[in-house]
Amino acid sequence: MKRLVTILALVLLAACKQEAPTAPAGKGPPPPPPYQMRAEAPAGDRLAAGRDGKALFENHCGSCHLAGGMGTNLLTKQQMMAGQPPEKGLLANRTDMSPDYVKAVVRQGKMAMPPQTRVDITDAELDSVASYLGKAK
Amino acid sequence: MKLTLPPRISPQQFDVALQAFAGVVGKDWVMSTDADRDAYADVYAPGSAEQWPASAAVAPASAEEVQAIVRLANQHKTPLWPVARGKNLGYGTAAPRMAGSVVLDLGRMNKVLELDPKLAYCVVEPGVGFFDLYEHIQREKAPLWLSVPGNAWGSVIGNALEHGIGYTPYGLHARNLCGIEAVLPDGDIVRTGMGAMKGNASWHLFPMGYGPTWDLAFTQSNFGVVTRAGIWLQPAPEASLELVFDIPEAEDIRWVVDTITPMKISGLIEQNVFIPSWLGKMVLLGQRKDFWDKPSAIPDWRVQELLKEHKLGYWQVALRLYGEESVIKAKAEIIKAAMKKNLDVPPQENWWRTGDPISAFDITMGIPSAVPLQLSDWIGGRGAHMGFSPVVPATGAHVLDQMKRSRRIIDSFDVDFYASFTINGRFANNVNLLIFDRDQPQQIATMKKLFNALIDESAKAGYAEYRTHLGWMDRVMDTFDFNDHALRRFNEKVKDALDPNGIIAPGKQGVWPAAFRDQAKEGRA
Repeated sequence: MKRLVTILALVLLAACKQEAPTAPAGKGPPPPPPYQMRAEAPAGDRLAAGRDGKALFENHCGSCHLAGGMGTNLLTKQQMMAGQPPEKGLLANRTDMSPDYVKAVVRQGKMAMPPQTRVDITDAELDSVASYLGKAK
Repeated sequence: MKLTLPPRISPQQFDVALQAFAGVVGKDWVMSTDADRDAYADVYAPGSAEQWPASAAVAPASAEEVQAIVRLANQHKTPLWPVARGKNLGYGTAAPRMAGSVVLDLGRMNKVLELDPKLAYCVVEPGVGFFDLYEHIQREKAPLWLSVPGNAWGSVIGNALEHGIGYTPYGLHARNLCGIEAVLPDGDIVRTGMGAMKGNASWHLFPMGYGPTWDLAFTQSNFGVVTRAGIWLQPAPEASLELVFDIPEAEDIRWVVDTITPMKISGLIEQNVFIPSWLGKMVLLGQRKDFWDKPSAIPDWRVQELLKEHKLGYWQVALRLYGEESVIKAKAEIIKAAMKKNLDVPPQENWWRTGDPISAFDITMGIPSAVPLQLSDWIGGRGAHMGFSPVVPATGAHVLDQMKRSRRIIDSFDVDFYASFTINGRFANNVNLLIFDRDQPQQIATMKKLFNALIDESAKAGYAEYRTHLGWMDRVMDTFDFNDHALRRFNEKVKDALDPNGIIAPGKQGVWPAAFRDQAKEGRA
């Protein structure tokens, strides 16, 4: 079973790899996959409340947790082992996390993920991200 | 993590120092809760992270704020441990060598100050990560490529300062540094090379200067805090060809190195050639327990079975050529002919041309990724890794000699052998990866003893590590023993002259300031 999940996860990885659209001939290279081309950090004071949680998540967490990122790859494997569909490897698709759970994992770390400092993501930014990801209220 | 104060500082003095820092950066950027200390701990520590505890962290936003913090640190005798982004995973992460140091986190200084597509360089602050710079280059549509390490989560400057390595023609990252701005331990600020002249347009182009050249003196160093640097970048090539050779036997590394090195030295091969052993591929196919379910090292017979089952050679050489297609084709013929003398099977050939997609996982094409860190999952649990990384001359005889020594020692501890060699010119970096579970005390104890044995035995044979974890910085410095450790005495003379209070990174790479030399025995793994 585990071998099967690994293979499926690799297939998914390969799928993520191919997600980058192919450009028409002569029009230049296609854009990189999401985790390698995050949106810029939203403007504004990093200590201020109420900034866009989705944009903050994509910028601060995206290099691991957008499609193709290391965190997504490992979580995809874990989620599939738990009987969930592979798309649950993307945190944005999860509905089982509360805002407090998101904050705890970010600050304390979990498995391969190290704790994040308040320079990596400020408390105000984490509040916004936790509201965005924490769909289980 | 509980508070560990800097040596000889009372709780009251510490509070006063933190308040003074807050006066510069604002109270939100002085971080001193237990959770903050945890976040700056070494999450991959071999053993308790509390062996290398930070007391707090302070995060300035500009070189001027760094100067002010350094002056206050002198005034309050509070040592600082500068980190660029603090992602030095496997070597200590953001944690300080000396317990109680305040982490000077430069992560907020994250501006790309200049990007010159014609002369192919950029000027960046220490908080700029590989992902940030890559994305900036893409947005600017600049025809430039990065050289990235296996973990691209970290800082471009930080990795270069730590002598990090990549796998492109620009893979010796410290060699890409050109023109540095640094805050000295007394709070003064200096620009190296041509930048010492106001308005000099060659600052980030001419790699030396007038008089002594200091850029590399700020690498793996505690002589100052680098606040910006010029970094040379690779012009995007028109085309690229990957030649993938599977090398069947472990001992074949001898002829492989003797074949590739002359072509690397002559310039025919420009990239740093990474030669990983079979385990590098296996970690992507599953977890260790899927292939070997015992705690003992995977035995040779099982390794041979796995190689056959997964159609892998013991080594894989994925050589990459860059440039104009006609030149690449001519070079490829020379390389194929050279390899054919020892290997009948022709290489797999993978062409890339401008406009083609680039594999998101290909670190030989300057694409940042943290995916290689997935190897931590190989043994499950809270996986961590350390690398024993000696430098050896790039000849088959030296490489084989070092491989046999490492293998004998690692086998004697019943640990899996996972070696790689990267041919960087006249030398090769050998990395022996040791993967362990942070929650298995016996595994950690074994790794520590093994690491000591590797350092000591390799030193006896004349090989030294190029970079190491906090807990071995002194042990490795001890191996540099010419003229009764003259290098350490020289470093410490310079350190004491520049930093009489010893406030910048005491103990970094085994260089201790007089003010804290009594602490050198602590924090050894």
